[in-house]
Amino acid sequence: MVIGSGPIVIGQAAEFDYAGAQACRALREEGVSVVLVNSNPATIMTDVEMADRVYIEPLTPAFLTKIIAREKPDGLLPTLGGQTGLNLATELATRGILDDYNVKLLGTPLRAITRAEDRQRFRKLMRQIGEPVPESWIVEKDGELVELSRQSGLPWPLIVRPAYTLGGSGGGVAHTPEELIEIGQRGMRLSPRHQVMVERCLVGWKEIEYEVMRDANDTCITICNMENLDPMGVHTGDSIVVAPSQTLSDKEYQMLRSASLKIIRSLGIEGGCNVQLALDPKSFGYYVIEVNPRVSRSSALASKATGYPIARVASQIAIGLHLDEIPNRVTGKTLACFEPALDYCVVKIPRWPFDKFTSADRRITTQMKATGEVMALDRSFESALMKAVRSLEVGANSLRYKGASQWSDMEIESLLTTPTDERLFAIAEAFRRGLMIEEVAGLSGYDPWFLHKIRGIVQMEKRLRDHAADLNRDEAAGLLTEAKGLGFTDRTIAELTGRTERDIRALRTSLGITATYKIVDTCAAEFEATTPYYYSCYDREDER
Amino acid sequence: MNENKKKIIVLGSGPIRIGQGIEFDYGCVHCVWALREAGYETILINNNPETVSTDFDTSDRLYFEPLTLEDVLNVLEREAPYEGVIVQFGGQTAINLARPLAEAGVRILGSSADSIDLAEDREQFEALLRRLDIPKPAGRAVTSPEAAVQVAHEIGYPCLVRPSYVLGGRAMEIVQSDEELTAYMRYAVDVSPKAPILIDRYVVGKEVEVDCISDGVECLLPGIMEHIERAGVHSGDSMAVYPPQSIAPVTIGKMVDYATRLAREMHVVGVMNIQFVCEGDEPYIIEVNPRASRTVPYLSKITGVPMVQIATRCLLGESIASQGYKPGLWPDQPNPAVKAPVFSFQKLAGVDIPLGPEMKSTGEILGQDVDYPRALYKALLAAGIDIPLKGTLLATLADADKSEALPILREFAALGYRILATSGTCRFLRAAGLDAEPVNKIREGAPNLIDVLRSGRVDLLINTISKDRHIEREGAEIRRASVEQNIPCLTSLDTARALALALEARKNGDPFDVRTVDEYLKK
Repeated sequence: MVIGSGPIVIGQAAEFDYAGAQACRALREEGVSVVLVNSNPATIMTDVEMADRVYIEPLTPAFLTKIIAREKPDGLLPTLGGQTGLNLATELATRGILDDYNVKLLGTPLRAITRAEDRQRFRKLMRQIGEPVPESWIVEKDGELVELSRQSGLPWPLIVRPAYTLGGSGGGVAHTPEELIEIGQRGMRLSPRHQVMVERCLVGWKEIEYEVMRDANDTCITICNMENLDPMGVHTGDSIVVAPSQTLSDKEYQMLRSASLKIIRSLGIEGGCNVQLALDPKSFGYYVIEVNPRVSRSSALASKATGYPIARVASQIAIGLHLDEIPNRVTGKTLACFEPALDYCVVKIPRWPFDKFTSADRRITTQMKATGEVMALDRSFESALMKAVRSLEVGANSLRYKGASQWSDMEIESLLTTPTDERLFAIAEAFRRGLMIEEVAGLSGYDPWFLHKIRGIVQMEKRLRDHAADLNRDEAAGLLTEAKGLGFTDRTIAELTGRTERDIRALRTSLGITATYKIVDTCAAEFEATTPYYYSCYDREDER
Repeated sequence: MNENKKKIIVLGSGPIRIGQGIEFDYGCVHCVWALREAGYETILINNNPETVSTDFDTSDRLYFEPLTLEDVLNVLEREAPYEGVIVQFGGQTAINLARPLAEAGVRILGSSADSIDLAEDREQFEALLRRLDIPKPAGRAVTSPEAAVQVAHEIGYPCLVRPSYVLGGRAMEIVQSDEELTAYMRYAVDVSPKAPILIDRYVVGKEVEVDCISDGVECLLPGIMEHIERAGVHSGDSMAVYPPQSIAPVTIGKMVDYATRLAREMHVVGVMNIQFVCEGDEPYIIEVNPRASRTVPYLSKITGVPMVQIATRCLLGESIASQGYKPGLWPDQPNPAVKAPVFSFQKLAGVDIPLGPEMKSTGEILGQDVDYPRALYKALLAAGIDIPLKGTLLATLADADKSEALPILREFAALGYRILATSGTCRFLRAAGLDAEPVNKIREGAPNLIDVLRSGRVDLLINTISKDRHIEREGAEIRRASVEQNIPCLTSLDTARALALALEARKNGDPFDVRTVDEYLKK
């Protein structure tokens, strides 16, 4: 039996349909008969072709119990339906319903799930294995909250997160005892267990994620790592993310990778898992923030970024296969125990609903607000970023943003300091007005490497404008090639040079500047791929 | 790459956002599957990493690219020669590319860019409706407050007003009088000859949604869904039931006829969605979209008609009849199904929750059972409205809604609900012989409404929207408190009526049972 994630809400979007559909297919290929439950019929996983028995019924323990009584499944795979599916499976297990009907929990054992999800047990385990976790307190009563707020020597500001909620809903950063009480009380109300965690706030640290997998033989691999452009303090679902990480030294990369593998081993996870870490940009200090012992939005992104089908492999592990026995379907030649290699850059940008909800608070915090996301791949970070921006459909075809030139300097400063959906565009505008990388880094907390790249895009805007008159000459070829390589569309070039999109397209085609395509094959072309996918770039070689 | 197969390119729907959800990915994936089954080499372009459409083995070749004209043309150049491009399943993202692609000489399979534009062009479309003798609510475009009042007098209040340049219900309002209309024209919108305001008679009636598949000549209607909330609530935010519960057969007959003739006249090939509002037996057309809608996966599952597959075959030139389907309305299935919206208000500070012409939900679910009230119960429960059989209800009603609310509140009282209400509502209910307890308004001192909501004693809030701005400011605070407290808040009396019906079914009916999707298709 596989439980889906229910309706699309902020924090749980289509990624669990993707994971569930992949799991159903993988399980049936292995000869397993699948019972699928989800209340959301607008999903592929609820197609009658996807599972042997498909139920579209409310996702409540009572209805799931009826389905279990009727179908008597041998096993339940709890880690594919997001937090909703996992919470339901945990509840069915603790209520004894799974035991009553002899249903075995497949994949990651319940013990491992609770160890990862229960903050206190997780922290205890981390301390045992010597992995650093930030100071934190679990609060379940108003009195405890007040008491905590009065303690001296607290590492202010503190971050408050309600336990067991979708996308960390209802949390926030408290700078004063009063704020701590207010946010804490709201968090407890929103938490199904009436529990919040108060923690040292690591705002400004780099946020790095690792997607790791483990099987019952204790074989572990890293699928990929991802770096959030927005430093700690912004929910990873609301953060611009790049894969693989771009600003880590090899030492930092290896340190965090080892930590992630150590963590998945110590938890005893059998399947996929996402590890979130905070890295101090000034030292090699880091903290383990959170672990998701299931497939997640991040694992969907990692899958698409690398070509490695995490949900499929996790389901195969759940029914007892080992990483060295599972073929990689993309290459058809390698095994699932090969770590993917990336010879390109991936950028994800969240899609926020502020175009519809004009009155909404646009600030992005530890509470996720995006309804969806886009991903783009390219040879360079700049071009992947530009592609992702125009994929958003927010009226921006590049980093030129409607209304940005009207922002006052004060507004820009505030847009850089306080994260909103417009911060990326504010950074570009800041460079247009001549701010230095150090200044923007100081205000936004973005790593200078990213800012350097963004400034390069802005400088290209100016160069194109400056060369508007002599674009027809052959010398323009170099400039156009460079602009295309940075991800400028014909339309943007046309706008900057006062021509039409059609003119630019004709001009660059005549100069031989055309898109070529590269393959995503999980192995950086080491092996030939059978079901690859493509991304465009302005490079010489075209891969077919 | 297989050189012998013919190629078709399918455009995806981009990121998930309010108004363009997972339904469109569902459509794209099914379209790709149908094409592959029909022997075509299928190429998909999309940029959303969360979806099934961008899984590595969904299409023959996936391009992870932005859905802009330039990026799409680049892929098309590389993949040439190909049969054509399919845009009708990828939501507004793909549809918006139909015109520019057609201008660039690309062949769009199915309904053409002209058909798509026809539905958006008010003048052309009205002329077509007149020619076909298909009714729509009377109305016109105006450019001044004076002209607006004149039109309103011709067609009569209430009127639905909205700017012509805004899609998706933004800044749409229902006005009841000259004063409200004038205020709207003067303060709510920018009016100019370039940006006229549309003013239509507001037909107070049942809203009905029809999805159909056309092969260019014949039309198959897998099912009709009746909205539970009255016209004025965005179709994506209203609950809806299949098959219709209160629409006369003669009305349904007319809708089938209108849909069939429209599809033929508009040269629709593939899927089309039509929204009607019914007054008496007469259905009036309020919107036509010659593309896949949000309801396609719902109807496909509850009727067993694989809509996207049939439509895709139509795009390839097959007729509906040759696929073994009889044109016209597909027979009603025995087990009713109710679709309900799901919101994410807890994540969004600053967003007010009342239902209206602007869509606010992020997702939807389905409840199905042997009869309508039981399907309703499952749908509400699945949407997170899990309220006890006996409990406490807090009602804060606008004056205009009080008499309509009375029988609904009586039903809740009969179920054993304790009813709390603000002074005015409370007096009204008591005068009508309904036992209600008064609660202080916010300014009337503690404990007030908000305190009562925060006390955890309230299971349900029914709050209808007042025209009085003063009262409304308080209304917004009350609704926000309910969101914070996770207390279901209903702003439409139609939803409240449905909930009472559902609770009665739960109280008096047999215990609830479960069935598979296939089993629901049988008696």
